Amino acid sequence: MGNFEKVTRQFIIACVTASIVFIAQMCRAENDEDFFESRVRPVLVKHCQDCHGAKKQEGGLRLDSRDAWMRGGDRGETISIGQADKSLLIQAVRHEVADLMMPPNAKKLDNAEIADLEAWVNRGAHDPRRETVSQTSNRMGLDQARTFWSFQPVQQIVPPNDSEDRWSWTSIDAFLHAKWKEKETTGSRVSPVSDADRRTLIRRASFDLTGLPPSPEEINTFLSDESEGAFGRLIDRLLESPAYGERWGRHWLDVARYADTAGDGADYPVREAGKYRNWVINAFNRDQPFDEFIREQIAGDILAQSGPVEKYADRVTATGFLAIGKRYGYKAAPDYQYLDFADAIDSIGRSVLGLSVGCARCHDHKYDPISAADYYAWYGILESTRWAFPGGEEQKRPAHFPALVPAEEVAKRDKIKADELERLDQQIAVLKRERSEIDPNRLAGGLDLGLESQPLGKPPGPPWLSAGPNAVLAEAQSPFAHVHPAGKQGVRIGSGQPNEGVRYVFENGLRATPEKQMHFTVDFRAVEGATEKGAFRFYLGRGVIESLAVECSVTSTEFAIRNGDKWQVIRQITPGTWYSLRLTLDPSAKSLTGSVGTLQDQTAFQDIQTGPNWDGVVDCFICDGIGHVPGAACARDLDNLGLQDHAFAKLDSGPVNPIVRPPDIDQRMAKLDADIKAMTESRQLVSNSVPYPVAYGVTEGATVNSRIQVRGEPQRLSDVIPRRNLEVLGGDMVPEHAGSGRLELANWLTRPTNPLTARVFVNRVWQWHFGQGLVASPSDFGSRGELPTHPELLDWLANEFMASGWSVKSLHRWIMNSRAYQLASVDQAENIALDPSNRLHWRFSRRGLDAESIRDAMLAVSGRLDRSIPETHPFPSVDTWGYTIHSPFHAVYDSNHRSVYLMVQRNRRHPYLALFDAADPNQSIASRQPTTTPTQALYLMNSPLVHDLSEAFARRVASIDGDDAAKLRWAFEAMHGQIPEDAVVDDAIGFVSAYRKKLAGSQATDESDIAAWSALARVLMTSNAFLYVD
Amino acid sequence: MNTFQQTRRDFLSRASGGFGAIALAGMCSDLQGSQDNPLASREAHHPAKADRVIFLYSTGGTSHIDTFNHRPQLIADHGKSITASRWLNQSGEYNRFLIKPRFSFQQYGQSGTWVSELFPHLGSVIDDVCVLNAMHCESDGHDKATLAAHTGSAQFARPSVGSWVSYGLGTVNQNLPSFMVLAPAAPYAGAQTWGSDFLPACHQGTHVLPGAEPLPNIRPRNRDTEMQQMELALLGRLNQSHFAQRSADLALDARIRSFETAFGMQREAPEAFDLSQESEETLRLYGLERGATSGFGWQCLVARRLAERGVRFLELIDVGSSGNWDSHGDMGDHIRLAAAIDKPIAGLLTDLKQRGMLDRTLVVWTTEFGRTPFHQQADHAGREHHNLCFSSWIAGGGVKGGMVYGQSDEHGILATEDKVHTHDLHATLLHLLGIDHERLTFRHAGRDFRLTDVHGNVVHKIIA
Repeated sequence: MGNFEKVTRQFIIACVTASIVFIAQMCRAENDEDFFESRVRPVLVKHCQDCHGAKKQEGGLRLDSRDAWMRGGDRGETISIGQADKSLLIQAVRHEVADLMMPPNAKKLDNAEIADLEAWVNRGAHDPRRETVSQTSNRMGLDQARTFWSFQPVQQIVPPNDSEDRWSWTSIDAFLHAKWKEKETTGSRVSPVSDADRRTLIRRASFDLTGLPPSPEEINTFLSDESEGAFGRLIDRLLESPAYGERWGRHWLDVARYADTAGDGADYPVREAGKYRNWVINAFNRDQPFDEFIREQIAGDILAQSGPVEKYADRVTATGFLAIGKRYGYKAAPDYQYLDFADAIDSIGRSVLGLSVGCARCHDHKYDPISAADYYAWYGILESTRWAFPGGEEQKRPAHFPALVPAEEVAKRDKIKADELERLDQQIAVLKRERSEIDPNRLAGGLDLGLESQPLGKPPGPPWLSAGPNAVLAEAQSPFAHVHPAGKQGVRIGSGQPNEGVRYVFENGLRATPEKQMHFTVDFRAVEGATEKGAFRFYLGRGVIESLAVECSVTSTEFAIRNGDKWQVIRQITPGTWYSLRLTLDPSAKSLTGSVGTLQDQTAFQDIQTGPNWDGVVDCFICDGIGHVPGAACARDLDNLGLQDHAFAKLDSGPVNPIVRPPDIDQRMAKLDADIKAMTESRQLVSNSVPYPVAYGVTEGATVNSRIQVRGEPQRLSDVIPRRNLEVLGGDMVPEHAGSGRLELANWLTRPTNPLTARVFVNRVWQWHFGQGLVASPSDFGSRGELPTHPELLDWLANEFMASGWSVKSLHRWIMNSRAYQLASVDQAENIALDPSNRLHWRFSRRGLDAESIRDAMLAVSGRLDRSIPETHPFPSVDTWGYTIHSPFHAVYDSNHRSVYLMVQRNRRHPYLALFDAADPNQSIASRQPTTTPTQALYLMNSPLVHDLSEAFARRVASIDGDDAAKLRWAFEAMHGQIPEDAVVDDAIGFVSAYRKKLAGSQATDESDIAAWSALARVLMTSNAFLYVD
Repeated sequence: MNTFQQTRRDFLSRASGGFGAIALAGMCSDLQGSQDNPLASREAHHPAKADRVIFLYSTGGTSHIDTFNHRPQLIADHGKSITASRWLNQSGEYNRFLIKPRFSFQQYGQSGTWVSELFPHLGSVIDDVCVLNAMHCESDGHDKATLAAHTGSAQFARPSVGSWVSYGLGTVNQNLPSFMVLAPAAPYAGAQTWGSDFLPACHQGTHVLPGAEPLPNIRPRNRDTEMQQMELALLGRLNQSHFAQRSADLALDARIRSFETAFGMQREAPEAFDLSQESEETLRLYGLERGATSGFGWQCLVARRLAERGVRFLELIDVGSSGNWDSHGDMGDHIRLAAAIDKPIAGLLTDLKQRGMLDRTLVVWTTEFGRTPFHQQADHAGREHHNLCFSSWIAGGGVKGGMVYGQSDEHGILATEDKVHTHDLHATLLHLLGIDHERLTFRHAGRDFRLTDVHGNVVHKIIA
């Protein structure tokens, strides 16, 4: 809009406003109430409240009650009473502010409506609408939280002691029994079914604790042990198996959103992720106290500082729990770190506390007593932490991975490595110098850096670098022979372009040494008849213009040298004439002297300053077209370069003689080359070696208190919130000088007075054993979660668990030794009608095997399961990583190890794990949602894995002694843990022989035999008796 | 001996007895409701205008001012400088040069809708298309904008629009998945784009990879069908005797049925991918060589065949995360990319219309964002990401054809009138399918989640 238009519009607005004020005063007779009802309320209802009312609160603003607009929106005060012009509401409807034109989509109110609103504001914004209860938030306040079940302290509960209870074996049973009895009074009588048979029990317990089927031998050992406590001993045996941690660790990895890739757009692989996975597996296997298990995952790096050194690596590794979440950034700088933190806060909240703390990112939690301030109090703790960066689109290498050895050890090993590298570098330098001294190139043409050995007519090749139309030519040979023996060729630089020319990197560069000078020489001429006006340049210094020592600049008519920040013209020159330049650098004085000229006509110069920032190293010479006079530089010839730490012969000292080639030169060269190669390789090995192992975890960063991000937008910052605990859990502050506060957070989460942590975890364990928790929403113990079916049992378990020293294996024993765990999974019509989902535990709920168990069981029965712990995934070498969102990392690695060790990728999931409903690693998963789909059936029918493993199983079967019936009984027992009735065995025998016959006619062959048994194996390992556990 | 067919009849007769209420389909454990088949076709919230969706997605960010948003003033002001508020993902004030499209525009059809020379075939059917010229979204990063266009969230893992539709409406052919994605390569953000996230996994997109075996494991490994039937028959008998003692467990029944469905899929899916019965005329319509098993023409024609067979939501990924419309260096790339999809898309619309399917099939074309009408250098051949204004279009299933909805400023920099946010497009799409986007919710982690989060307005003006 032009200025004129704008002025005009403002003028019109001013006029209209003025007249409105006048009209408004005229109408003062109309009382405020009537004015609001007739003029204002209809406008608000019609145009505003759809987006600023009960349904939506765009911009955080509601206009459906006086209380609401008085609170204002995200932009602050909405109405400045009595001052229409200053009120955002009025400015918005007038379309005065570019990004605040209301209503949106250019449907401006008509002038009369705007005038009414203005008048209403100016006369006091009378509004009779008071906030109703339904308009206020449903959020639970801190007061209400004190009475909400999950925020109350865990109660001390005495298990029911019912003398009439003849059913119960353990306290757990007594609680369940009491609940049945309690329900009886309301007329709904569920009664427990019979106990499970022992074959069912061992299969159930084996899959439950280890994720693997019992072998026929294990079944028979258990069946033949008829003594008291046989099942208890079975439980103990299974708990001692390393397979236990692999199974139960995987449960925790669901909650911990474990993956082997970062989840950013490019999905960078994380080589160290598996260390955290293995740590979790180990923690379960050694029954690490659960409170310590949590503390180490939140603050292991801090705990490691004060603990025994043997625990250092484990504790730092444990912080992988924080780092392992989905990442959003493209580089280590915190560009999207607020989203990484959102993931971490959400995951800590859900996994440990069963609270959706992450919901308070944009505003106070809608239902639970968690404020946005609580969220940003935790946020500050995370922001005060240094996070391992896995690599990303813009920064393609991992960074900040914490070391698994203490800091002093890191320093020590870093030093050892640096020393070793320096030692090798020195040795290599010695060898190279030795080599260059006997180099035939040097011997043939002197020290002019191999120009004599370059092919004629071509640009100079390695070790020279050339850009542009340059060529090694005979006519570019300098006439001077005082430094090098007379040669036959030099280089002509044919380009005048600024960035074209030649470069030479000296293998044995010179480094400032006290009392030593550096000497450089070069011969040059502008070609005959050159008319270009621009200058070419000699650069001498470290690297490609990294640290400038000397700069000379030459046109076809003059030679200049940089003296400090000025160009100093030294002399006139003539095209076609050769000049020799000699420089002597004094690094300690940062000055140089020299001369330039012909034999008869030399110009000396002195007290020239070197580059002011020169670092004392000379290892690179460049001649390009960037000189002290702009424009195209002339073509020029160069020859006879030299750099050494002692003086060159004088220009008039006469020609030097060619050096005589020693007889054994070739052998000596070959030996030196081999030595250099070997030494360089060992240097590379040392250089690539990481002197200490690292983990994907966190360490302490610079402490900071974070500001609230209004509506979760990191640009819209509000109040600073000190780092502290959630208010509902006490609101304890992070003490000053305490560091990030993670150690404090770890302690707050696990102190016995925390009402949530123990309850949440015992509920998870219950859920993993029985298929559902006592609280059916295992990661939501808030007001929108489910209530516990057996609150007393939950509290009793939580207390016993804490009293046992948070021993998870004890928890397994209590639960599995209960009679409830050992019930059959049979139907009972009355019970099904009363309690179809078995919340009252009248039977054991049958469950499908999860993805890992199906695959592991198939591998196990076919004898292919590799029970060892695999090395790290075969990720491509980190030097090759260049993943972007356009070409992200993707891989599927085959293995016969247990499925918990498969490479779990975030953005493109492992095809098998995704198909069979393994946990989505993009967020904390409380319970998997099993599905039964035809695409799974297709996998079971047609996948290479199932076919391969069936064949492996067939070979096992074929090796079993006995007839088909005996083989079949073994096959059924291995696959299903049961031997079916004879009719079923006969049916299967019929199948095998029919299949054989169909393949081979009457002549059965080994091949058709294996094929038939493979077909049978496929049937058995895809049948429901295999895929489900009673 | 029983054949599998006989067993299947057994199942069917049993199904009509004890468990007749359950459809022949995969079953998800639906924690929030009954154990009914979650893929069973379901009642909509209100009468639907469309029964299915074909969602065409051009990856990389197709330039709006070079395709559907004709801005004569941009041509007139070519080379002049303006102040842009955003550049390369950063807000600020940037002096930039306006750059005119290098493609000419002309008006097509009765409606006179402007379309650039990149899409002549689409131009010929433009009277069936409603062009949206004031699209906008939050992010100008590929991965984030791609996720936003598919899941409504640029930040967090959420279910994709196809999963929501499958969850809301189920599907009519239980022999095929409800949501299928025909993609030669994954788009940005990978399979999250069609993931079901917290919705039951039966609603996730099934990836069809153009080529010889479009669905994994669809071909029996044993060529002899009879032998596979023998195996399945024994499996059926074993499962039956297992089930007989556990007959209240619907999950077991569902697993049994899943094998039947899979067996059906082995037949029906390859048939859907087999184009040998299509006429020369039809192949020509899609610009497809006989025998081809890939290319966007293949994707479009297979989409029509899957739509005919009752698949609820079909997504067609154009290209993938590399070599796509992301023309930073040279807008000339758009020529090749447009040529690859122009005829197939026009063919799809024509074919659907000829078969009377377009009325009930919603065809949506979109991309993650548009491209900047300006650049740092006045003569730059490429364009950068631009999320403040871009173009999409929508056709069929209850949408007004021959309409252009939404206006940008004269240079195509800002959407100004009748803006349509990605959330609005989702809300409208669901509305046309009979779903109220504010009522299609799923309780997860203590909150009712929606595709449109807390946003989204149905664009009523484009509904016929």
